[in-house]
Amino acid sequence: MIKITNLEKFYRTEEVETIALNKLSIEVKTGEFVAIMGPSGCGKSTLLNILGMLDDPDEGSYVFNGIEVAHFTERKRADLRKHNIGFVFQSFNLIDELTVFENVELPLIYTGVPSAERVKRVEEVLDKMQIMHRRNHYPQQLSGGQQQRVAIARAVVNKPKLILADEPTGNLDSSNGNDVMELLTDLNEQGTTIIMVTHSEHDARYSHRIIRLLDGQSVVENIMV
Amino acid sequence: MILNYIKIAWRNLVKQRLFSLINITGLAVGLAVCMMIMMYVAHETSYDSFHKNADQIFSPRASIKVGGTTMSMAYMSYAAADIIKQRQPIVKDYMRTMAYFKPVIASNPEKPDSKYSEKKLLFADENFFSFFSFKLISGNASNVFDKPFTVVLSEDMAKKYFGDENPIGKIITLKTDSAFTYQVTGVAKNNPSNSSIEFNFVTSNQSLLKMKEASLYTGTKEISFGNFSIYLLLNHASDTAALRRNLDLMARQEKTFDNVHYSLAALPDSHLKSNFGDSSNTKYLKIFPLVAILILLLALVNYMSLSTARATLRAKEVGVRKVAGASRKTIATQFYIESAMFATISFVLGYLLCYAFKPWFLNVLQLKIDDTFLYSPTVLILLFALLILTILIAGSYPSLVLSAFKPVATLKGKMGKSTGGVVVRKVFTTLQFAISVGLIICGIVIDRQLYFFRHADTGVNRENVVMIPVHNTFGNNYQAFKQDIKSLSGIEGAATSHYAMFGGHDMNSFNGKTKDDNIMVSSLLADDQYIKTLGLKWKYAPAADQKLAGMDRLVINEAAIEKLHLPANPIGSYVQSGNQKFKVIGVLKNFNFSSLQSEISGLVLYIAPDNMPFFSRDGCSLLARIKPHTNLPTLLGKMQAIYKKYDKDTPFDYTFMDDAFNAQYKAEDRLASIFGVFTYITIILATLGLFGLAAFTIEQRTKEIGIRKVLGASLASINTLLSRDFLALVILSIVIASPIAWWAMHKWLEGFAYRITISWWMFAAAGFVAVLTAIVTVSYHAIKAGIANPVDSLRSE
Repeated sequence: MIKITNLEKFYRTEEVETIALNKLSIEVKTGEFVAIMGPSGCGKSTLLNILGMLDDPDEGSYVFNGIEVAHFTERKRADLRKHNIGFVFQSFNLIDELTVFENVELPLIYTGVPSAERVKRVEEVLDKMQIMHRRNHYPQQLSGGQQQRVAIARAVVNKPKLILADEPTGNLDSSNGNDVMELLTDLNEQGTTIIMVTHSEHDARYSHRIIRLLDGQSVVENIMV
Repeated sequence: MILNYIKIAWRNLVKQRLFSLINITGLAVGLAVCMMIMMYVAHETSYDSFHKNADQIFSPRASIKVGGTTMSMAYMSYAAADIIKQRQPIVKDYMRTMAYFKPVIASNPEKPDSKYSEKKLLFADENFFSFFSFKLISGNASNVFDKPFTVVLSEDMAKKYFGDENPIGKIITLKTDSAFTYQVTGVAKNNPSNSSIEFNFVTSNQSLLKMKEASLYTGTKEISFGNFSIYLLLNHASDTAALRRNLDLMARQEKTFDNVHYSLAALPDSHLKSNFGDSSNTKYLKIFPLVAILILLLALVNYMSLSTARATLRAKEVGVRKVAGASRKTIATQFYIESAMFATISFVLGYLLCYAFKPWFLNVLQLKIDDTFLYSPTVLILLFALLILTILIAGSYPSLVLSAFKPVATLKGKMGKSTGGVVVRKVFTTLQFAISVGLIICGIVIDRQLYFFRHADTGVNRENVVMIPVHNTFGNNYQAFKQDIKSLSGIEGAATSHYAMFGGHDMNSFNGKTKDDNIMVSSLLADDQYIKTLGLKWKYAPAADQKLAGMDRLVINEAAIEKLHLPANPIGSYVQSGNQKFKVIGVLKNFNFSSLQSEISGLVLYIAPDNMPFFSRDGCSLLARIKPHTNLPTLLGKMQAIYKKYDKDTPFDYTFMDDAFNAQYKAEDRLASIFGVFTYITIILATLGLFGLAAFTIEQRTKEIGIRKVLGASLASINTLLSRDFLALVILSIVIASPIAWWAMHKWLEGFAYRITISWWMFAAAGFVAVLTAIVTVSYHAIKAGIANPVDSLRSE
């Protein structure tokens, strides 16, 4: 599904040039659950942003589902992204002014799903995430665990092929964190590819494979059994 | 999708109440001002266009050169229209009207007690109501004036004199030179407020011809100047060039005047292009649209500035939406819709404000605008255009900035000091303050010039002089009236003159050096008490034994010495007008006998001997100086009693000379009051904008302020730090606004012969107001941020 080759990304200020990704090559197959680990500043988040087409690489190739996307325009990337990729963030990133239902509905609006169909699908996914009873609440009225479940619901409502999770349990206690990991595992078992950045060895154990990054390069790959 | 946008826009509006309020009211106030001015301008430019043939009706205007001065004449003789039509086949039809020059006494003979003095009696040709498009409520346009002494009343007059009865066939008495009874044959809708032809009563010229005084107005049997407004109906508007040439040709054949040139004024132009009477409207028409645009611009800039500042708070939302699949276009659309919503709310509020303040605005401008005009298609289309324009502009910049946010940065909270539009917002703030400062400077200059007008020494002692119009109904009794007034205990002195002070003067032609050289000089006829009563000063006083009054002598002012080519001390010299010779017996120091807007021109003063009844035919004005500390109401009551002894019917009327003097500047007065209000509005708008902007800028620096406080910064140093940037912008705006305001006011002052000089303190005062406003506004937020506990601000990051 994903194949990146010799990917490079620099951050420049007037005086310093920092290499975030240094000729990184990774491949992820459809249906995999991959964890990316590494110390702060190793390039994990940069990699995730590029994979999620929120950012573009400076050098190298990124093939997504057989399409070279490394130099796509913002519009093309946005188009590809909305149909294929769901995001889960550490800080949830829900819109405060929208209710739970409306937050989850958002991706469907942007992909042009008709209203009746939207209601059906949002209710379905809220039910699955067990937050149906909170559908008319605003994010501030929910606990962290509930907010993250809303965020995951939003990420999967469009039935994306790939879910990118950036430390999805980082702001949660261990019990809520485990719930979230179970949800992701379920989704993976139903066929969604998952790439997750994490600091937690515990969370990483849910994945099939761990890619460890250091200074923008892949150093070790552990295959989980 | 749109529903989703509106929903989130509404929730944002409610959540950010303060900023929504600033945003919406700011824009609403700007729009209200804009709407008012738009309605006013639309009304002014729509004059007379309601007539069905408006574009085919033209009035001849003649300009004649006499002795180096060009005089413009709008009124022509009664015979002129008929002659023109006979000789010029391109003229299809014509209309002559004469607005009776003074109020008439009207009464319903069935109710003899109700007598009123009424203005706007109009004499017109019989086809008045078919030639023009004034609507008749009752009566038939083709035959209302079949007979002389029939009258059409306006709706208001019908109501006033006949109440709810049907006035058709009833009798009404109108007293012109003597009382005539008229049969009411029609009732017309009141003339629209945008009509240059006004009437309360319309009667036919046939009635006028039956009056004794008719010969005064209709005597001339040739094309000449006179008392009638002439309207010519042409086949095509394009015929005007030919007609103008033919009129010039006819004038040359008739040889009444040497250098006559005709122009043709289209009916819809006659209101704005004829500079007769009050020209103040034309002045406003130039200035107000400009001010309206500035205020709207200010309000829009305010809106954009605040919206983009607020954008930082919306950055996360934009990021999430982009991640969820929104393209830049959809985000831009979202913010456009949001702006449209804000703009529409502001527009509705603005309309309500405009409606609420309309009476005040019209009152200051002394205007009347029909309500029906305010809901006419023209105005509605203009309002709609304003709404669209507001939406387009208000939404443009914020949606552009907001939609450009990069999701990666916004989601990670890296927005920091809002990369979006810092420079643009600075430009906006500078622009806002520049407009405010500019208007403050203009306001100060206008105010000072008016102060100068009111307090300038004009050479006339204007205090405590009351002027009473004496009509020809007094006959020769005007002298007895003067004596009676003089004998009152509160009166210091009294004089009679042809016109009230500042109420006009005649022009007389004097022979120049050669036969063809005619010198036009202002002239005034007064009695021998005039100079003393008004406190005029002599430059060269007449000899002690010299009698002032006499038909062979005159008094001139300094300016007339040069004008009449007289020696430096012209006492004893002679001037000649036609065959009449006059001896110059005294020279008065220059005094302003008209407005300070124009320079003092040459004046000759004829002193009428008491034994010659000069004023019995035309009427005159009694000028009486009241002793200081006199009880005015009692004195005026006594004067009225004396007045009624000589004229029972005409209402007693009086004006104080300084009021009459000040009234000459009513155009400037109105300009000043409106300008004052506009200036306050711009200051408030600019302050609102700065208030909002400061709040956001400082909110973004909360962490920095916290760190500085932890490191020991004082409240004062934090306030300085935060205010400095804003003050720099305000000072920049003063630098930008000053030369522009100077130039504009320099141009304005050039219109006055007597004017103030623009001095540095006016700029300093305006700058001070701006700086003070800015400091207070910004400090409010800066101090609030400064006294907050740094622990809270640091934790929030």
